[in-house]
Amino acid sequence: MSRSFDAIVIGGGHNGLVCAAYLARAGKRVLVLERREHVGGAAVSEEVFPGFRFSVFSYVVSLLRPEIIRELDLPRHGLHILPLESTLTPLANGDYLAQWNDHDQNRCELARHSLRDAEAYEEYGRRMHHMARAVKPLLAMAPPDPASLDPRELLGLARLGAHLRGLGSARFHELCRLMTMSSADYLDQWFECEPLKATKSASGIIGTLAGPRSPGTAFVLLHHYMGELDGVFRAWGFAKGGNGSVSEAIAAAARSWGAEIRTNAAVARVRVEGGRATGVVLEDGEEIHARRVVSNADPRRTFLEMVGEKHLPADFVAAIRRYRFRGSSGKVNLALGELPRFTCLPQGGAALRGAISISPSVEYLERAYDEAKYGEFSRRPYLDMVIPSLLDPSMAPPGKHVMSIFVQYAPYRLNGGWTDARREAFGDAVVDTIAEYAPNLKSSILHRQVITPADIERTLGLSEGNIFQGELSLQQMFFLRPAAAGSRYRTPIQDLFLCGAGTHPGGGVMGASGRNAARAILGEAA
Amino acid sequence: MSARAVVIGAGANELVAAQVLARGGWSVLVLDRSAAAADGATDVAGWVAPPIVRELDLERHGLEIQRPDPWVTAPVADGARLELWNDVTRSAESIRRFSPNDAARWPVFCEQMSTLARALETLSMAPPPDPMGEGIGALADLGGLALRMRRMGRQGLENLLRMVPMPVADLLDDWFECDALKGVLGAAGVLHLHQGPRAGGTTLNFLQNHLGCAPGVFRPALSNVVRVLAALQGIEIRCGVEAARIEVREGRVTGVTLAGGEEIAAALVLSGTDPRRTLLDLLEPGWLEPESVRTLRGMRSRGVVAQVTLALDRAAGFSTLAIAPSLDYLERAHDDAKYGRVSQQPYLEARAEDRSVHAHVQFAPYALAGASWDEAQRAQLADLVVQTLDAHAPGLSAAVTARRVLAPPDLERPFGWPEGQMHGAEPALDQWLWMRPTPELARYRTPIPGLYLCGSAMHPGGWVPGACGYHAARQALSDH
Amino acid sequence: MLKTTPFHPRIAALCKSHAWRRWAGYVVASSYELSHEREYHAIRVAAALFDISPLYKYLVRGKDAARLLDRVVTRDVVRASIGQVLYTPWCDGSGKVLDDGTVARLDESTFRMTSADPGLRWLEENALGLEVAIEDVSESTAALALQGPNARAILQQVSESDLAGLKYFRLVPARLRGVPVTISRTGYTGDLGYEIWLDAAHALELWDALIDAGAGHGITPAGMLALDLARIEAGLMLIDVDYVSARKALIESQKSSPFELGLGWAVDLRKERFVGRTALAEEARRGPQWQFVGLEVDWNSLEHLYAELGLAPQLPGVAWRMSAPAYAGGEQAGYATSGGWSPLLKRYIALAHLQSRWAAAGTLVEMEVTVEHRRKRATARVVPRPFFDPERKRA
Repeated sequence: MSRSFDAIVIGGGHNGLVCAAYLARAGKRVLVLERREHVGGAAVSEEVFPGFRFSVFSYVVSLLRPEIIRELDLPRHGLHILPLESTLTPLANGDYLAQWNDHDQNRCELARHSLRDAEAYEEYGRRMHHMARAVKPLLAMAPPDPASLDPRELLGLARLGAHLRGLGSARFHELCRLMTMSSADYLDQWFECEPLKATKSASGIIGTLAGPRSPGTAFVLLHHYMGELDGVFRAWGFAKGGNGSVSEAIAAAARSWGAEIRTNAAVARVRVEGGRATGVVLEDGEEIHARRVVSNADPRRTFLEMVGEKHLPADFVAAIRRYRFRGSSGKVNLALGELPRFTCLPQGGAALRGAISISPSVEYLERAYDEAKYGEFSRRPYLDMVIPSLLDPSMAPPGKHVMSIFVQYAPYRLNGGWTDARREAFGDAVVDTIAEYAPNLKSSILHRQVITPADIERTLGLSEGNIFQGELSLQQMFFLRPAAAGSRYRTPIQDLFLCGAGTHPGGGVMGASGRNAARAILGEAA
Repeated sequence: MSARAVVIGAGANELVAAQVLARGGWSVLVLDRSAAAADGATDVAGWVAPPIVRELDLERHGLEIQRPDPWVTAPVADGARLELWNDVTRSAESIRRFSPNDAARWPVFCEQMSTLARALETLSMAPPPDPMGEGIGALADLGGLALRMRRMGRQGLENLLRMVPMPVADLLDDWFECDALKGVLGAAGVLHLHQGPRAGGTTLNFLQNHLGCAPGVFRPALSNVVRVLAALQGIEIRCGVEAARIEVREGRVTGVTLAGGEEIAAALVLSGTDPRRTLLDLLEPGWLEPESVRTLRGMRSRGVVAQVTLALDRAAGFSTLAIAPSLDYLERAHDDAKYGRVSQQPYLEARAEDRSVHAHVQFAPYALAGASWDEAQRAQLADLVVQTLDAHAPGLSAAVTARRVLAPPDLERPFGWPEGQMHGAEPALDQWLWMRPTPELARYRTPIPGLYLCGSAMHPGGWVPGACGYHAARQALSDH
Repeated sequence: MLKTTPFHPRIAALCKSHAWRRWAGYVVASSYELSHEREYHAIRVAAALFDISPLYKYLVRGKDAARLLDRVVTRDVVRASIGQVLYTPWCDGSGKVLDDGTVARLDESTFRMTSADPGLRWLEENALGLEVAIEDVSESTAALALQGPNARAILQQVSESDLAGLKYFRLVPARLRGVPVTISRTGYTGDLGYEIWLDAAHALELWDALIDAGAGHGITPAGMLALDLARIEAGLMLIDVDYVSARKALIESQKSSPFELGLGWAVDLRKERFVGRTALAEEARRGPQWQFVGLEVDWNSLEHLYAELGLAPQLPGVAWRMSAPAYAGGEQAGYATSGGWSPLLKRYIALAHLQSRWAAAGTLVEMEVTVEHRRKRATARVVPRPFFDPERKRA
């Protein structure tokens, strides 16, 4: 036992770092303990193969909240977000669908597929803009618990009620529909073009073992529009240097306010004395005291491994056991000797600089899901790819490229379990899928890294390999994330807080949980 | 003479609506498409809610409720059968043979589900809450509802909010380990729904099928409520007539024109026909704003159920038989339907009566991919049903003397179920409460003053026969 | 990428200024010459030739075609005669303007509708249950506007039929040097003028014919800068500039009703049903809160503001399109949305939305102008639109 801190943050993932930075900015003495040799958690960039850098685990596109960028002054600490201008969906018939940021270009391209959709697209965009505006205040609030009688919760509920009623009927009802519908059903009401519906609905399934026709997946469609809402911040993009540079910028900001960050420091357990968290014990036995402990580890690891059932109410333990992870995605990182040549774009072109989505139809995605439901990885998966070296040449040696591929579905509970052979078979399925659209891919691969949910769990300590620390399904959102008694970032243990994506608003909205947690803690401390 | 109201349709909802209007002083004419009133009206499934029973004095008029016991029998490997009864303890005994753990949890589960179902019953017996309602009255209604919900207690309310959007498979996996048990319970979650048990919101459907049931019973009871309602006095029922157009002048409803051309003047029209047909087909185009039309066209009412009746030359040898051996079985059955095919291994729920068997078959989608519901399809479905049942009731196939298949398109006309969907609008989360069938129509009113919707597409849906009509008629009375 | 119109090969060759802009996804010329001035004056003294192909165009055909359009727009389409062109706004269900354009009756059951924004989806949604076919002919139909006092003479030279009888807001099928077209006596300049609609395949042929025939009459290809000034003089509004379509408005106050845009004359409440009728009938009863008016900035007031800083008045030679607040009675009375110096009238004119109580002709208001980095208010008088309305327009 040595020194004492105002707060210890367990885990140096981006939410932990954001939380630490806010606490340090408010004058608290903060210590961040990271198990691995570098901070970032799922948001790390590593030189996996000599000369080739990758955002190894995380989904390549950053949704870092603009208020965090602004308040932590991240550009000064090295953050540079490059915009992604397009999404390309190659099709089996040799054609493609591209969605562009530029209005005229987008309309022209969509009209090629469907005049109606080209018109509906604009109206859809405005509707989503309104919805994103309606939801934005909810992201930054600690979710009130409607079942509680605590006057603070009631006040929160009244505020929430007033906000919702203030939206007006049409927008409120639209919000209700977005919360409860499947993304495919919702999009069916707007569009007729299959690849358009499929590419858009894919955003609803990321991080959840659900298909585009599963109710509750429509809500995530909004995430795409949150970025637009923030106007010039354009949070929707690719971070120069990969997602690791996001983590490094946040860490630098935290350090600038005096936070201490220790790597290679794995926390074994949280010290609980008399119902209060008083510090942590590292795996090497070192004890560190603090007035508060903030865990960026997921709820299962935090409560069932680091705290221990004996300190927790039985109901709460049951709720945490019930909380679902079901990691369902993997990642494939390719080092390429040359750019992939897509059959649909023989000349290459600007569309390669954006996202490339293998999502030719809703049925394609739904069938990919069917396999995962019964414990197999998708033989023809949904893929979301970027070629970061086209945006940021420092990611690969000159003339060579890196390709970052997010893959769904790869169920954590694979029939027979994940083995080295299954991992390679999974990687083959991904490469084979892309090769159907870009035949030169196979011969241009110099190195390949395949990451399964089991690898994510083992390397990052994320239960069941879920990058969002728990499924983003309706019954695990708002005050139920991760459990009613553990929402609002507090826990049944006094002075123990959660700040990870396993709290509201969860994964996909980077950093919001960490910021909200810091505000909750500072509110209590004040 | 009192003002004339016309009610289109003669099912439970329409007849209850007609009675409520008549008692409110209207002279009511019910238009029944079938040849004779309540002729061959079959028993309907659902909870006949006490306020309706009381108000219309249905018990005195001969209301009979059938609650089969056991309510479900499911074959398990090696000829063993899982039987669930109206009595919780007796069911637990049956479950114990397959899983002592599940048997131990059964009473707690039943109690918790029962508490949640009571809350949904409360919701069913009032018009849908209107969170955007204006004025003190609407706020008071919301407040009152909130208080009633809070009476469930903290845990109850939390459970309700958590479970309603859940996949029923997740709910059951949290509680039980026995596949057969989870299969027959999970079936209640997908009953009449174009979803598999892993879809969000199926827990809601599961609970809705528990309304009015004893703890531990998860299938709606059957009743003769339509026959009883049709025999009540005070309204005029015209049989064998069909409404062809709803007449509107100067923006107000003025009557109904029959298929034969006869025009019946009315200041009030309640339509039990589904909202899409009522507003898009029976009304002249142009009265609805395009935004309303768009939403209405987006309403989902996909039928997924076929009814197969087998005539036998002997007794079936079982009273009820459910083929839903596991959640995965149900999910795979739905996978076929997703792609427009009849389930290769369907979920079946068969009920035997004398020398016949009635089978509920799911999933048989209304719209088949690359095929249509012709005689060959129907025969194939009958074969599938006979063959599936035969595996568990040996010798059944040899005893079949006649077969009748009602595919979803066959249910559309006689029952007025759009696309064969008995709930009118699919019982999904996004078509529940103030969003049922669409937010604009949720209060039973339509954009045409004097025209109301009273069919099962409205809140609370087909689980509570008569309740949609009850709320619609009361809304109409309070507006007029 | 941006689309080019069927006339682009000719236009690109003539566009010395290289000043291009976007219009509905097409690339069009802002001006051909280094200054747009000659192009502007051609509209008023000779004839200017505009490529208006980027307009959206729909062919509506069938038994219920008139019924559909009658339901969509605010004017009475059923009673329109064959060969008549209606300028009309159309609204959403709340009676707020979605777009404005023309509806031309080509025969008993065929109409051509033009719009500034795409409208296929809206037409189709309104057509549910009606016997009507809607075809988007935006790309296959090319269009030119020939505007100015010599327009008739030029057209007559190439036309095989007599155009003298073609009245204002009427159209006629014709052949121009063998090219089949329809000619409507319509335009966006407030002058004598015609719009010519044809199959895109014949576009260059027609362009060459007109340029050839017009050479002696001073025909001048003209760009958007010249058109913008002319349409302000004519008091004609422009979507996205002078009003926001209800479809694109982010908040309620950005929307306008036809009454608020001075288009009350085009709202026919005798029709039993059309989109937005209920709300419009109510507004007609109540009277609109806003009006769309012309403003003339007082020269002396403007000169004085500049003189205070030792400057001569600097005038906007190109029409501006930002929002300038207007004040009256110590409050903000409204805002001007476009304006500029009229070279013809020698007046500084603007189009403005004013609250009804300040909108009567002759009312004096103050319009914000920026003079040498300082916000100032210049006196302006409310005047009737159009500012310029020559007899030849209708004669």
